Amino acid sequence: MPVVSIATSRFRKFMPGVAEDRIMDMLPFAGLDIEGVDAGTVRVEYNPNRPDFSSDYGIFRALRGIMGIEVGPPKFKLGGKPGFSLAVDSQTKDVRPYIVALVARGGTLDDQTIRQLIAMQEDLHDGIGRRRKKASIGLHDLDSIQFPVRYTTVGPEYSFIPLGETSPKSITEILESPLGKQYGHLLGNSDRYPVIIDRSGSVLSFPPIVNGSVTTVDEETKNLFVEVTGTNDKVAEDILAIIAMTLNDAGFGISSVKIKTGSRIFVTPRMKGNKITASMDFINSTLGLELDAREIAKCLRKSRLGAAVKGSKVICEIPRYRTDISDPVDLAEEVALGYGIYKIEPSLPASFHAGSRDALSRYFDAVRETLVGLGMLESLNFSLAGTEGEYDLLGKPAGDALGVESPKSAEHEVLRESLIPSLLQSLSRNVHEEYPQKLFEIGKVFSGNNTSNMIEERWAVAAVTAHGDASFTEVKSYAQSLLNAAFGKTVETRSEKNLPYFIPGRSAAILVEGREAGTIGEIIPAALEKLRMRVPVSAFEIDLGKILSPLQ
Amino acid sequence: MSTGERALHPIEYALLKSLAAAAEKEEGQPSQPRSVEELTRATALDIDQVRRGIEWLKFKDMVSVTEKSNTAISISEQGRTAAMSGLPERRLVDALNAGMSSLAEIISAGKLQKEEANAAVAAAKRNGWIQFGQGGRMSVASTEQSAEERLLQKLMIQTLELSGLNGEDRTGYELLVKRPGYIAQKESKDVHVTLTETGKSASSQSAQTESQERRLTPDMITSGRWRQIKLAPLDVEAAAPPVFPGRRHPLVDIIEEIKEIFVGLGFEEIDGPMVQTGFWNFDALYIPQDHSAREMQDTFYLKKTRNEEDSSSGIPATDEQIRKVSAAHEKGWGSTWKAEDAKRMVLRTHTTPVTLRHLADAKPESARFFSVGRVFRNEKPSYKHLVEFHQVEGVATAKGLSLRDLMGLQTKFYAKMGIKKIKFWPTFFPYTEPSLQSMVYNESLQKWVELFGMGIFRPEVTVPLGIRNPVLAWGGGIERIAMLRYALDDVRDLYSSKLSWLRGVPKCQL
Repeated sequence: MPVVSIATSRFRKFMPGVAEDRIMDMLPFAGLDIEGVDAGTVRVEYNPNRPDFSSDYGIFRALRGIMGIEVGPPKFKLGGKPGFSLAVDSQTKDVRPYIVALVARGGTLDDQTIRQLIAMQEDLHDGIGRRRKKASIGLHDLDSIQFPVRYTTVGPEYSFIPLGETSPKSITEILESPLGKQYGHLLGNSDRYPVIIDRSGSVLSFPPIVNGSVTTVDEETKNLFVEVTGTNDKVAEDILAIIAMTLNDAGFGISSVKIKTGSRIFVTPRMKGNKITASMDFINSTLGLELDAREIAKCLRKSRLGAAVKGSKVICEIPRYRTDISDPVDLAEEVALGYGIYKIEPSLPASFHAGSRDALSRYFDAVRETLVGLGMLESLNFSLAGTEGEYDLLGKPAGDALGVESPKSAEHEVLRESLIPSLLQSLSRNVHEEYPQKLFEIGKVFSGNNTSNMIEERWAVAAVTAHGDASFTEVKSYAQSLLNAAFGKTVETRSEKNLPYFIPGRSAAILVEGREAGTIGEIIPAALEKLRMRVPVSAFEIDLGKILSPLQ
Repeated sequence: MSTGERALHPIEYALLKSLAAAAEKEEGQPSQPRSVEELTRATALDIDQVRRGIEWLKFKDMVSVTEKSNTAISISEQGRTAAMSGLPERRLVDALNAGMSSLAEIISAGKLQKEEANAAVAAAKRNGWIQFGQGGRMSVASTEQSAEERLLQKLMIQTLELSGLNGEDRTGYELLVKRPGYIAQKESKDVHVTLTETGKSASSQSAQTESQERRLTPDMITSGRWRQIKLAPLDVEAAAPPVFPGRRHPLVDIIEEIKEIFVGLGFEEIDGPMVQTGFWNFDALYIPQDHSAREMQDTFYLKKTRNEEDSSSGIPATDEQIRKVSAAHEKGWGSTWKAEDAKRMVLRTHTTPVTLRHLADAKPESARFFSVGRVFRNEKPSYKHLVEFHQVEGVATAKGLSLRDLMGLQTKFYAKMGIKKIKFWPTFFPYTEPSLQSMVYNESLQKWVELFGMGIFRPEVTVPLGIRNPVLAWGGGIERIAMLRYALDDVRDLYSSKLSWLRGVPKCQL
């Protein structure tokens, strides 16, 4: 989850007169987890559905509401004089089709504000911007731009001075830089590249890769030009609205930019929010509360929403930056937050239900109880195992093992098709413990069916015994005792020469009522040696699906 | 109870008896120490039993033990060759006697190796076998057998004990041991046991009980002979060898406990496949197709593609379900929904696809069920994270169920687990609204820890699948609970099958 670092000095600035402890106590009830506290800084985790929490401005905005300091939709006024315009060339449609922008004037960018804005930009890029794929942001010094600005495309040899550089670089060179390698693929295979250029020909930005150096923002910057480009217009506008609200809270006056796309002209940011109507009964029944209209409206306003009651319904005005609210259930949650989750008393549903165990899980308990009664220890191993342990060590070809894509660990590469290998490895890890060692596992095994292309999951049980006298006869005794005690079934064994892991002539198929249901035998010494075992091992594995009819 | 009255273990008894018998033979003399080997032969015990018994008797002050270290001298392969074809100095004088006169001549005749020549001359001189004439010319003065030669001859016949070497043999040994490779020495320790006075009286006391039977046999019971015999008392305070019981895995103990609580709260258990489609694991839960959780770096996708029943769409769902789910995505997330992503086979990242599919198929008006099973995340395993772990999930649906009911069911569940202090914080999951996380107070760590997440399924989840009533859902990992219960610092310990842990962890954590 993304994290915002807040200097505690900002508490005093934005929450004057409120004790720090009280703020810390309330953070979790706004849906924010305190990840850590260092000298003078609190690190707060927020959920990805709340991109408006990507700066501390958004967090204080919500806290002031929940704590009743300032309620209802936050004040926001879009300044007039739309003297800023941006023309969009039609070729941009093919590479990165959307652009929206705003102007923010008259603020001060102190060190803390710049930190918050940069962290916000990164979080928005990675989160709702989907690593700049859906949308990316450029922050510019307004005073070094000559309007009108143009969003157009250029060829690969076009060059400009990118942010942080001193000499011009061509588009091709920039695509070879680390940032270019990271984000260049977002532009697809086009040989035209999007750039934002002002009237004098200065490059503001090569989205979504890098800004130009001419419009670099620093602590001297008073006025900002913000553009958001992307492949998804809704996300681009969501991001712009969040930035507008943040800069508004940071003391800037926000003005609009006129966007000209062909014959279409529109003005951004568009800050008008949705209206959602919810029935008060629905809200109360969802939460299990009995709030009246006045209380519901009060809770919603504490969540910084507008609320008007009309009959049995409440009509909610959602500020544009709240991109997470789309349905009456979202309003129910906002009421709960405004009400205070800590004030909600748990209740118990009145309906009656008789509980029960799954039939299979009861059968597995019978298997478990029997094997425990035979003196065996239950072992748990991973279904997703390493090729080495499952195949290489035991001298079995991996064949068509069911592998997963891009595993991060060599111990978790394939779905196991037998339980025996992991039990043998468990024995191998315990060569210094006292013998006899007898282990079992109940678990799923997997196999691919090449004709139907299906993946089969079956429940199985396997057991191993390891000690100086471990033998075929011993495990056969266990297998027959298990099936007899647990299911009243008789076991027969039929000699089978070509079983993996087992010594030919000392291994067999297990037959239950004439059907093949498993394998049994003594483990080959070659495998024992590789596993650094010093005692013989015998094992059996039974496909429980063949025994239990409900599994078939 | 005094030592004298204390009953003896059969091993102790056998040893005392053997030592006392030997002492009797040598009556009048101080009792002779016996070695472990002698006692093993005399008692028909195995050598480990004898060693153990000696330790016990020593502890009871019935025997005294002396340790003597020995050095056994034996002949090596090279020594054997020298004993037969002569030490270098012998070959030197033999060659001189045969008429050869210079070292060069002797070496080229193969009688001496070049590197042996110096040692041969020095030893022959020391033995007084040769003299040097004019110009360093060698002549033979004597050919008497040397001490070294005599010792080698003896060693050809038997291994000798160093402490037993005297006189000339000792001289021979001291010379030979300085020369590389002719003899081998092996150090060993002999334990010798002597009966003490306490031991003597204990053995005579136990001799009195010799008429007593050491074991009650089936024959004694059936024949009625038990009426005549007297059973010797046992050392009932002695340690018994360990035996290890079979047992359920400690994590399974917790799973069983959780299942029992769910059943007690009126929940029905369900189970389902671990291999799921993207559709049921993600899409039906309104998790956007470009969500980071769906990327390969977080989720395991199978290299193989299809599963379950064949359907024209390649997705194991009805056409209506697919249509409505995709419409919810396109409306809510504003991007094109791709059937390709929904078809991909994933190792389930949570148990929710199982419960959701059950809801979608059964569409119960009112129901409570739960599922426990393994889930998978593509992470690097660490002390905190496993790639594969167990999750429990509970679901309740009925008309009018509320967030308060969800909190109430949690509170009851935790109370049954012995957790009294809990609190709820708002949180976010893509498929529930409102969503909460529960924090429980861990008394031993003295801090709040995060446990289950919960919420009410969003309409984007329930409506497309035709589920009418509110669905309360919650769940979380079980390994976390197990770590707290068993005070483990490393979650991997639960899956390492360490026998020392499995055999030792108490069933009841009091």
